[in-house]
Amino acid sequence: MSVCRYALLVLVVTGIGVASASAQERAYFVTYDHYLEERGNLEIAVASTTGFPKNNESTYTAPWLELEMGVTGWWTTELYLEGVTAGEDGNAFTGWRLENRFRPLRNEHRFNLVLYVEYENVNEASRIQKEIVGAGSLPFEPIDELKQTHAHELEGKLIVSSAIGAWNMSENFIVEKNLSESEGFEFGYSVGVSRHLGALARATSCHVCAENFVIAVELYGGLGSTEGFEGGEQRHYLAPAIGWRTSTRTTLKASVGFGLTEASDRALLRVGFDYELPIRRRR
Amino acid sequence: MRAALLASALVLLAVVVSSAEQASKIRERDANWVAPARQNSRANPLANRPDAVAGGRKLFHQRCTNCHGEDGRGTTYGPDLTTAAVQAQSDGALFWKISSGDTRTGMPGFSFLPELQRWQLVLHVRSHATRAGLQP
Repeated sequence: MSVCRYALLVLVVTGIGVASASAQERAYFVTYDHYLEERGNLEIAVASTTGFPKNNESTYTAPWLELEMGVTGWWTTELYLEGVTAGEDGNAFTGWRLENRFRPLRNEHRFNLVLYVEYENVNEASRIQKEIVGAGSLPFEPIDELKQTHAHELEGKLIVSSAIGAWNMSENFIVEKNLSESEGFEFGYSVGVSRHLGALARATSCHVCAENFVIAVELYGGLGSTEGFEGGEQRHYLAPAIGWRTSTRTTLKASVGFGLTEASDRALLRVGFDYELPIRRRR
Repeated sequence: MRAALLASALVLLAVVVSSAEQASKIRERDANWVAPARQNSRANPLANRPDAVAGGRKLFHQRCTNCHGEDGRGTTYGPDLTTAAVQAQSDGALFWKISSGDTRTGMPGFSFLPELQRWQLVLHVRSHATRAGLQP
């Protein structure tokens, strides 16, 4: 199935699923900005990355579940559960991640810093590609073989984000250390630009109107490791994205990432649906 | 791995439970949270657009009532916006606070919204003054 036909199918099916509920504030899938989860809110998100590799390798889909909680105004914590299915190559639960984001400054500035720390307990079959570090293409051995190799990884990100008019510009620098192997430190990056559409809010609620949409472009990839830059082996993607706030609590988003290097997949199709749940009791 | 996963789930659960703590009165405004002086003089470009107030009301309902309450009179998580102390602040100061947020108190920033929508929110906050019998 071609990338375009597959993209259309997923968008239509997901769209029908949420039409009755009535979109995501941010359209980014990989890049983080400085907006943390609201204190006391739990965001439940389901999303997937579908990869279309080169060289006749099997198309794969890697779904994940995110539980994101605003602990305080300056601290957001998030648990990920992830899996993969790759047709005849098998399917598997590929692990979990626990991330924390901290915003040290009280108010908004021209450049807003967020510190990110994540622990990952995943196996080699993991393909959600929420971040890309190091170099080399994905391994395409059978999933049953890949899932036998586990990795405990520690990841840090420096997130810099700016609001300029209706635009957001975010830059993430990533460092990752595999605690299970002596691979040195791997590096990666992600940059994103997004914009809310619409200007004045309408007086009445509406679903398909400009004020409910966000458009974005992300550029992300690996930058080698302390053991070598390996420029020719790095994966980089350019990904236009769109977010649609379908109701006050729900967001649907999608992006298509185009592989820019030989080691990259041809394309990565990402689709996600978020539901925001206020869990604190107010009076 | 299961033990670690279980431990993570328990941590998350503990966080959820602790955040669901109850308080019994409306949150006090943080008097120390003050807009920078240069922001105070900014004028609302929608000041002569009464038609824009309704859009501000809708935005307030979508994004603010969870903490400030439907009528803006505050809850345990957000202060009363109808008070004289809030209404005495300039449009520019309110705009800055809506845009910036305050990580210390948990007030989220809304700088991701287009500027005109944030000014619509200022218009709506001003309408609370009229209902509370204050001079807007």
